[in-house]
Amino acid sequence: MQRREFVRNVLLGGASLFVVRNLEACMPGDSFAHIQGSIRGGNSKTSHLLREGKFPPASKFVDVECLIVGGGISGLSAARKLVQAGITDIIVLDLEDHIGGNSHGGKNEVSAYPWGAHYLPLVNPGQEELISFLKEIGVIRSVAENGLPVYNEYYLCQDPEERLFLRGQWQEGIIPSFGLPDSHQAEVKRFLDTMQQLRYKMGKDGKEAFAIPAAESSQDAEFRELDKISMKEYMMREKYASPELMWYINYCCRDDFGTPADETSAWAGIHYFAGRKGVAANAEMNSVLTWPEGNKFLAEKLAAEFSDKIQTGQLIFNVRLNADFVEAQSYDVQSASVVCYRAKKVVLAVPQFVARRILNNTSSGKEIMDAFHYAPWMVANVTVKKPETRSGQIELCWDNVFYNSESLGYVNACHQHLSSHPGMVVLTYYLPLTKGSPFEERTNALKQTHRSWVEVIVKDLEQAHPGIGKEITTIDVWLWGHAMIRPEKNFMFSQVRQEAGKPIEGKIFFAHSDLSGMSIFEEAFSQGIRAAKEILEA
Amino acid sequence: MQRSLTFLLLVSVLVVATCGLIYELAAGTLASYLLGDSITQFSTIIGVYLFAMGIGSWLSKFFERNLLAWFIQIEIMVGVVGGCSSAILFLLFPHIEFFRLLLYLLIFITGALVGLEIPLLLRILKSKFEFKDLVSKVFTFDYIGALLASVVFPLVLVPFLGLVRTSFLFGILNVAVAYILCHRFREEIPWANYLKGSALTVMLLLAGGFAWADEIMTISETATYNERVVYSVSSSYQRIVLTKNNHELRLYLNGNLQFSSQDEYRYHEALVHPAMQSIHNPSRVLILGGGDGLALREILKYPSVDSVTLVDLDPEMTHLFSTNETLRSLNHNSLHSSRLKIVNADAFEWLRSQRGFYDFICVDFPDPGNYSVGKLYTLSFYKELARVLAPEGKTVIQSTSPLIAPKSYWCVYHTVEKAGMNAVPYHTYVPSFGEWGFILGMKETHFSPPDTFISGLNYLSGPTFLSMMEFPHDMSERPTEINKLNNQILVHYFEDEWAGYQ
Repeated sequence: MQRREFVRNVLLGGASLFVVRNLEACMPGDSFAHIQGSIRGGNSKTSHLLREGKFPPASKFVDVECLIVGGGISGLSAARKLVQAGITDIIVLDLEDHIGGNSHGGKNEVSAYPWGAHYLPLVNPGQEELISFLKEIGVIRSVAENGLPVYNEYYLCQDPEERLFLRGQWQEGIIPSFGLPDSHQAEVKRFLDTMQQLRYKMGKDGKEAFAIPAAESSQDAEFRELDKISMKEYMMREKYASPELMWYINYCCRDDFGTPADETSAWAGIHYFAGRKGVAANAEMNSVLTWPEGNKFLAEKLAAEFSDKIQTGQLIFNVRLNADFVEAQSYDVQSASVVCYRAKKVVLAVPQFVARRILNNTSSGKEIMDAFHYAPWMVANVTVKKPETRSGQIELCWDNVFYNSESLGYVNACHQHLSSHPGMVVLTYYLPLTKGSPFEERTNALKQTHRSWVEVIVKDLEQAHPGIGKEITTIDVWLWGHAMIRPEKNFMFSQVRQEAGKPIEGKIFFAHSDLSGMSIFEEAFSQGIRAAKEILEA
Repeated sequence: MQRSLTFLLLVSVLVVATCGLIYELAAGTLASYLLGDSITQFSTIIGVYLFAMGIGSWLSKFFERNLLAWFIQIEIMVGVVGGCSSAILFLLFPHIEFFRLLLYLLIFITGALVGLEIPLLLRILKSKFEFKDLVSKVFTFDYIGALLASVVFPLVLVPFLGLVRTSFLFGILNVAVAYILCHRFREEIPWANYLKGSALTVMLLLAGGFAWADEIMTISETATYNERVVYSVSSSYQRIVLTKNNHELRLYLNGNLQFSSQDEYRYHEALVHPAMQSIHNPSRVLILGGGDGLALREILKYPSVDSVTLVDLDPEMTHLFSTNETLRSLNHNSLHSSRLKIVNADAFEWLRSQRGFYDFICVDFPDPGNYSVGKLYTLSFYKELARVLAPEGKTVIQSTSPLIAPKSYWCVYHTVEKAGMNAVPYHTYVPSFGEWGFILGMKETHFSPPDTFISGLNYLSGPTFLSMMEFPHDMSERPTEINKLNNQILVHYFEDEWAGYQ
């Protein structure tokens, strides 16, 4: 009898093991409890103080030659240019506890990682200021005999660069090709050929049709017309029907502008493809430069010469034009006191929805604030065991995109590491919030809990990596309420955008990528340089 | 009892006999596979099995009632033990000390259970036939089953299903017979429901094993390596496995052969001496990779060497090769040399942080089979290497097979040249690897092959080395791109060229 019971127990034990194993496989259950992390970013609490407007009176007065409000790429570029031109009496103020704006990054025990902007394409020929900056910081090492720049090989994005999860498989590159019918393949080719032609197209005014910075583009009516329709309308007008191509176009618009193709100006959409003309002696066209910490690398290099002149945690709430100087009041978040700066010149290197709110006694603020719209984003850094790839499949790349996903996929922050350690990686997950209007999405995003973001992210990752949830240790989330300017229809060539950057009475200057209509490093950089030059020439 | 029961029982004799012999053959094959010396294995296994059958037959007298139920119960148990035995043995082999004990225990249990079956059957059927018919019928089926098994096993089962699946399959068959018997005669059997339930459960279990046999085999390295695994460990960087057969010791990293003790001297002499011999009084030496201490063993033969820095990613490797007796005798205890400094770090990061010069740099990384290792073969890496190479120093790089992967080999050559060094290609034959290639790099423009080599070498000599520098047409130089971090072209070449061989 005992023996029989023993046998039965053994058999039942075996059976229950079998059943448990299979049940586990079927139900996801609460499998997120082990994932650590928090929601960070967007100093929205402090900036909402702006709306209430209750600040103590100034307890300190500081005179300065040039005050730069905003320590993002445009502010830092302006400051660097001024310092290099000999204007060293400057102060740079930023609301956040870090510089760089959305070129921000963090670090954990596995790797440094980006919180926002994370790469720079090869620089277009002729962008002398940017090229000289990159030479200065060793990103461009030399110039080859054929005149092409030689980039630092450690900063060029390593191979393998991109893959797309399409029809249950990883394919090389993110332009859909796996399993496409010939007719769709042909459309993709026609589109890319057209973009290639537009890339080198010149206007009647002798300017490139699509230039970087955008301000140097041709003003021909032929191209300006493209600003009046959306990228989606352009695709339909040109009789593209392939759903895969349409997905790709939408992906690109959301990737660069945080704006879907049906809301993006066709001019901006085409600029994504036709604007970039960078070439290198030691890399292919369309290569990019990237760092584990993303463009934080560039921000820190920009600031290197004047880091002692930067103050963070400063909320500028009032900028007034006086007879002799500009008065700017700043609330120091830490000490809860107010400093009043009296500057000969002020650069407002902040987005217009901030700039026009803090500018006190000037007109036209309302019109500008109505015209400039910003895209909200969620960026997450996922610390996880390096995802395995089945043999014969494309290995983990730098950029890993899922076809038909809400997200843009993820970037492997460890990609540029030289070590061959196979253990943990940090994957930076990008989600432009484009389902509803920016306002709705922004409001909704602020209501989400860490747990609900984790669910969204893990579910998305699981499509391509079944079971990855178990391997994740941490997901940190950053919300950007106003991550980037949206280049909507009729915005790129609008009067209001072109007027917005004009200095006020030779004392207040503007520099921000939103003035270019596109939130890319090159635009922010050239905005800063332009503002600095205006000051130097004034 | 009816005729149908009689017939069914006789069929089950056939199945039982077939299954029994299959378990025995599987165990014998597995034992010779894992332990070598097939004559001993087969002979002892057959002996233990038959002896256990005898014990089983003797035990049968203690079963007095419910014989049919017991017969079914025993069939189920044979199914479990026999069916799972191959998988259990494969899985536990690398991990347990008393493997033979487990092996014979499993054989014994299977044998004893199978031994119980025939006597029980004879007793169940004794009222059906006259004794002479009974014995003739039962044993006829028994021996037919044996013949069937012995023919099917080597011709069909092992080649098409493999050992693990075969065992599971016959376990299922065994239990299936039990289930059918149980179902047909549920009225006559006291614990019919319990028996049916357990039969079903066991079948499910065995079917699971059958379905997941590949996963089981992957877990069990032994099956992969085809040799006896004497040591295996997963470090945070790789899977290190040492195997041994009668005449050699082999090291595998992530399943790729690194050396065989039988011919590694050819590889390591070729790797070290052509460069070392042509450097005037080499004193500072750097080894990248090579945590096995074998290249180091060759380097320490030069009294002029003052200091050697060995950089290997994996502390587990240097630990293993500095503590294990057999391996210490293989590398002549080189990892304990007072001239040696061991650094466990990633070679690329470490190299970038170095200042100062080395007279000889020995680069002995795994083949560029993936992007992580591929970085260690790039232009950027070789530039860093050139940066720390003394003006009159030399470096040597193991560079995969110029015969199987000529584009890969010449890609390393061109990349080394592009990094500002002069590259000298040479190759040699290492039986366990095949034709193998090396690139010697230096800053000087002229390389004069050494006429003589230090004494005590097994392979290299002046004339031998001259012949190693000859590249016949099938390995001759061909155009390639330069391998860079941002194209990793070598990994692509390597994948293409080795695809047919792996």
